[in-house]
Amino acid sequence: MKITGFRVESYVMQMDRPIGDANFPAGEDLMPSSLLWIETDEGISGLAPGGGDVERFFHLLEGQDPREVVGIWRRLVDFVHKGGVVAAGGPISSIDVALWDLKAKLAGEPLWQTFGALEGRVKAYASGIDYCLGEDELFAFYRRLAEKGVDGGKLKIGLDMAADLRRLGVMREALSVASPRPHLMIDINEYWSPKQAVRYLHEIEKHFDITWVEEPARRWDYQGLRQVSQQVKAAVATAENLRHIGEIYPLIHEQAVDILNISAGQTGFTGCRQIAHLAHAYELPVSMMNCQANYMAHLAAALPNHLSMEVVDPGREHCLRFSHHIEDGCIVLSEEPGLGVEVDEAKLKALQANPPKRQGNFPFPRREGAGLYVKGLEPGEVKWR
Amino acid sequence: MKITGVRTTLYVHQLSRRMGDANSPSGRTKGTNCVVELETDEGLTGIGLGGGGVRPQIQGLVEGLLKGQDPRRGYGLWQRMVDKHFKGGHDGLINDAISVLDMALWDLKAKANGEPLWKTLGGSLTKALAYASGIESPLADQEVHDWYAQMATQYGFKGGKLKVGLDQDADLRRLGLMDQALRRATDKPMLLIDANEYWSPKQAIRKVREMEERFDLGWVEEPARRWDFLGLKRVSEGVRTAVCAGENLDTLGDFLPYFHHRCADVIQVSYGMTGITCALQLADAAFGYELPVTLGGSPGNIHAHLATVMPNFMCLEVVDPGPGDGVFNSDVKIVDGWAVPGERPGLGIELDREALARQAVDRVPPGAGPSPFGRRRGAGLYEVRPTAAEKAEAAKGVEA
Repeated sequence: MKITGFRVESYVMQMDRPIGDANFPAGEDLMPSSLLWIETDEGISGLAPGGGDVERFFHLLEGQDPREVVGIWRRLVDFVHKGGVVAAGGPISSIDVALWDLKAKLAGEPLWQTFGALEGRVKAYASGIDYCLGEDELFAFYRRLAEKGVDGGKLKIGLDMAADLRRLGVMREALSVASPRPHLMIDINEYWSPKQAVRYLHEIEKHFDITWVEEPARRWDYQGLRQVSQQVKAAVATAENLRHIGEIYPLIHEQAVDILNISAGQTGFTGCRQIAHLAHAYELPVSMMNCQANYMAHLAAALPNHLSMEVVDPGREHCLRFSHHIEDGCIVLSEEPGLGVEVDEAKLKALQANPPKRQGNFPFPRREGAGLYVKGLEPGEVKWR
Repeated sequence: MKITGVRTTLYVHQLSRRMGDANSPSGRTKGTNCVVELETDEGLTGIGLGGGGVRPQIQGLVEGLLKGQDPRRGYGLWQRMVDKHFKGGHDGLINDAISVLDMALWDLKAKANGEPLWKTLGGSLTKALAYASGIESPLADQEVHDWYAQMATQYGFKGGKLKVGLDQDADLRRLGLMDQALRRATDKPMLLIDANEYWSPKQAIRKVREMEERFDLGWVEEPARRWDFLGLKRVSEGVRTAVCAGENLDTLGDFLPYFHHRCADVIQVSYGMTGITCALQLADAAFGYELPVTLGGSPGNIHAHLATVMPNFMCLEVVDPGPGDGVFNSDVKIVDGWAVPGERPGLGIELDREALARQAVDRVPPGAGPSPFGRRRGAGLYEVRPTAAEKAEAAKGVEA
């Protein structure tokens, strides 16, 4: 079993609905995307969302046995030693995921079993990435998932206290069919300073019991994050924008984080699992990020300290085939080998042949006033105001 | 694939040399081991070695929890075993049982794939740096020299670990002998010392400082009590040598103060921590703290499989370079001072069933456990040197 080649296909994803946060509340429904295949001499290939400059690393992969994924991870990470893994981590993450997909396919089992999980099931929470959505749409989104047993939701907030409080009420009402006391999370995406966060949170906590507040200060600001955690009741969640265990270390050591947002973007499943294990040593829960077809749930299913996984479901799977679904509040993964995700090549070709006319706004830029003052919603900036 | 049951067979074997440390300078001549065989409905058997003192706990976990489960889902099963013993804590005896069952589960998972464990874990067939560990307190000076010389010439070991603690002048002399012996393989041997918690932190600082005047030491192991993070940290701050500690801790949580206070410079993962699963978690956590990881001695040196996937792996303790004890053997080879796992499926353990039947016993005989004499008098206070009677006992060697 040897790696013989790879293929990266790029396309622009036209989602079924826009997503937006405090940095870009107007929202966007176009997202540049790509897929990576790693090919072997036995005809099986490994798939991963993402890609990037895989060519740069291919000499380290060619001729290797993909089942040796952890050893290969080490070589990839060591290779980018000088420039740093944070800068070069994108392709490494995708390569690692594709190799894990291959490893599971070769064992003839779903990846969650390769990771040793007892079942392919992960508690989910709903996350609208929803600053762009009106209250009716908000309600419909959270109610749709609540009807599948999802008992937690995460709202994008930070620009307008009155609207945020009203919308939190809408989310809670929508989720109330799943639980009399749904888990309410809020996400600021680093728009506030620590003290803005503390003030804002105190007001919100007068009305709502908040499970976690996400990114209430800059990703690296361990003192600011700790300050927020010490001054509010809610847990502080962060780390989605960190890419390597070495960046996580000060957050954990300084008790700046109560819940770690993790993903395969943190140098693949291999790097992500390392971070989860470090968090586990410190008795900290982790929460897996959203992704196409919820493929990262495979690792989440095996982690002893996994809390719940983010489900956004904006319709990003138009060229993918899979049978994962949400049931009883959980992401239920299929028994298909590997990630259980396949690409519909015809649909992919069609997407590539007819790209949207505009580029879209991903990734979102940082909004004016961030960390300084709140620049409120402009007239007409979001359609619901 | 489903787990159907378990068989445990306890046996006694003769050691190849007398072994002992500061706590038992007269040493012991016999060892006890237990073969744990986890059976499945597809004819595959997972083997774990250890847990001789906890056979009822092993039986209980298999009957109450593992039976009927798919062994390939071992991480989840590990969690269930740990959670089952939430209230009393999963350290101590139950930890030994979880540990050996976890090992058998990993063996099964790899065997189900028809591949060696290192590959199931995702490793590349890389070699693990190894060092020779004599556990040689009962050996006379000449025997210490000869054993390390044999390790250097026959297996290429470039590092060695000496048991120290009771007699500083003897320790200095024997360090010189180990150094000299290992120079047959390298001009710069890695010299490690191990006090097995016999010293107080300040005793450790005095003694290690004196040793450092003559030798460049790779680490000092357990220079204070296992839980004394302040004392361990104090030693690390008081000497040049790295402090290595952790072998007597059981669980990931036990290591939290080690990480947080950075009191150990090298994290030692011993055989029989909460299994292979916990060892892997621990290595990842140590990586987050940029701390090197060393693996303690293991039967047949099977820890070499784990070493290949630990991100900050430093070196592997080898007490006996031979592949087994006459009852079992593994295919981990020591080549030029490196431990190289083989290609047999799973952990690569093979059993000699006749020898196993011949040496089987019902209970661990006195003096054949890993630490038959407990902690030595004077520990942490003053040194009680080996008595004449202890020296006479040690001089008997391994003749039964």
